[in-house]
Amino acid sequence: MTINVVQAALLGLCACLSSMPGLGGTVFGNYTLGRPLIGGLVVGLILGNVPMGIMLGAAVQIVYIALVTPGGTISADVRAISYIGLPLAMLYVSSTGLDPASAEAGGFAVSMAATVGTLGTVLFYGTATINLVWQHMGMAWVKQGKLKKLYLVDLVLPWISHFICSFIPTFIICYFGSDMVQIIKDYLPMDGLAMKTLFTVGSLLPAVGVAILLKQVVSKPKDFLTFFVGFTLCACMGLNLIGCAIIGGFFALIQYSIRTLSLRPALASVAVGADDDDEEDI
Amino acid sequence: MKKLSRKALNRSFLNWFYGHLTCFSQEHMQTFGYMLSMLPIVDELYDSNEDKTKNLLTYSTFFNTEPQVGSVVVGITAGMEEARANGEDVDDETINGIRAGLMGPLAGMGDSLVVGTLLPILLGIAMGLSGGGSVLGPIFFILVWNIGMFLIMRFLYFKGYELGGKAVEYLVGEKANAIREAIIMLGTMVIGGVTAMWINIETSFQMLNSEGGVIVDLQSTLDSVYPKILSPVFVILCWYLLSKKRMSPVVVMLILVAVAFVGVLVGFFDPKLTY
Repeated sequence: MTINVVQAALLGLCACLSSMPGLGGTVFGNYTLGRPLIGGLVVGLILGNVPMGIMLGAAVQIVYIALVTPGGTISADVRAISYIGLPLAMLYVSSTGLDPASAEAGGFAVSMAATVGTLGTVLFYGTATINLVWQHMGMAWVKQGKLKKLYLVDLVLPWISHFICSFIPTFIICYFGSDMVQIIKDYLPMDGLAMKTLFTVGSLLPAVGVAILLKQVVSKPKDFLTFFVGFTLCACMGLNLIGCAIIGGFFALIQYSIRTLSLRPALASVAVGADDDDEEDI
Repeated sequence: MKKLSRKALNRSFLNWFYGHLTCFSQEHMQTFGYMLSMLPIVDELYDSNEDKTKNLLTYSTFFNTEPQVGSVVVGITAGMEEARANGEDVDDETINGIRAGLMGPLAGMGDSLVVGTLLPILLGIAMGLSGGGSVLGPIFFILVWNIGMFLIMRFLYFKGYELGGKAVEYLVGEKANAIREAIIMLGTMVIGGVTAMWINIETSFQMLNSEGGVIVDLQSTLDSVYPKILSPVFVILCWYLLSKKRMSPVVVMLILVAVAFVGVLVGFFDPKLTY
């Protein structure tokens, strides 16, 4: 498997659409095209092996299942994860003949994606910095009353930022990807310490992804009980995620009912007071 | 009495839906997306270009929140701008007070409900449907997430427009908190499920007797106590480092690289592969 000019260009275009301040919009760009699982489908279509793309994409997805960007600080860049990391991982897996469904292939994809994803944060800050230029122009135009220019500033000029920071890096790295993968294979044998560590890191990294997610919703150790209920349902009782979500929904409903009951005493005492008044009147 | 047309409101909503982050920078974040979505509103409400400019500049102050849930704020200000155009007493401070006051709470709500709960649940289900590289999973996610999110954001925008400033009490009240807690409970359970289904951390540690026979196979011993226990152990370790030790995700990842390296050296981890 190699990547030709057209394929590299298509990957570059997807990188422009999918990154965090991306041109596909947040819902369709960042949260759809940027997710590794969907990226796996798209990269698979471009490189001509959809099942492999999706299997590797799913393995990488778990690490980035909760990629939030609170206040615009990011720890990884989705355009690099999905459109540089996944193509390179596919090149490697197909050239070594690993089974793409195996934990090792997934582990390699995860390590590859995490590396380029972390380095890719440079692209994020680059894009945002170039956008500053358009915004300063835009602010001046608005103050002069040239309001329609806002469309130019918000929707057209950022393409230049993305051409520089998304298209070109993705194009170059993917185009020369098979050479890089060959170098990795030549210098790092799979049973050597470096590759063993890499595969192991790949199996450990999803824990960080889930932990980032937990950090969003768990504030006190007690909340881990709920986490372990879900874990036990799936690990020990063999439920799938839809089943787990339904049971979770049931508990959520109970929680909501109890919580709203505790909000009610104020209302209840007012009602009782009103009743008392009525009796006195009689 | 000026009344915003459905067309202007739709245009405004679409500008927000698509353009809230297209021109992102650390300095302005969503400010330009916000101005772009208020443009059709002021365009219709005011006649002279001076009035349009003056009122649009209200929205040139910094804005950043979770953009999906945040569409309600754009709706609210559209409603307030309409009231202002009708001569009601709404000044820049009132509008920007509401914008600034809602930014924080809505970012917290959106990050935990949309990005922290809804998105992972849908992705988790989609990953389950992707077994063997099936396209069913990605297609499920693309359809459900995009259509669902479009409708939710549209609903929030128009609800915000209808209620105007009154929307604030619904968004930060006790009932909103109760709903949020309940949904987070659901989310935490699903995250537990995701840990069980999608993280596979196993040890290859074995104790051998002098003839090379296995006395203790650590993984199968652990499995007989509590299956897959190493996965949640690592998740909780990472959670501890992230939220209690306040480390950045990159630092935690580097720690795991070190753990993996040492683990491979002492034979705790071994993928057992050759070219």
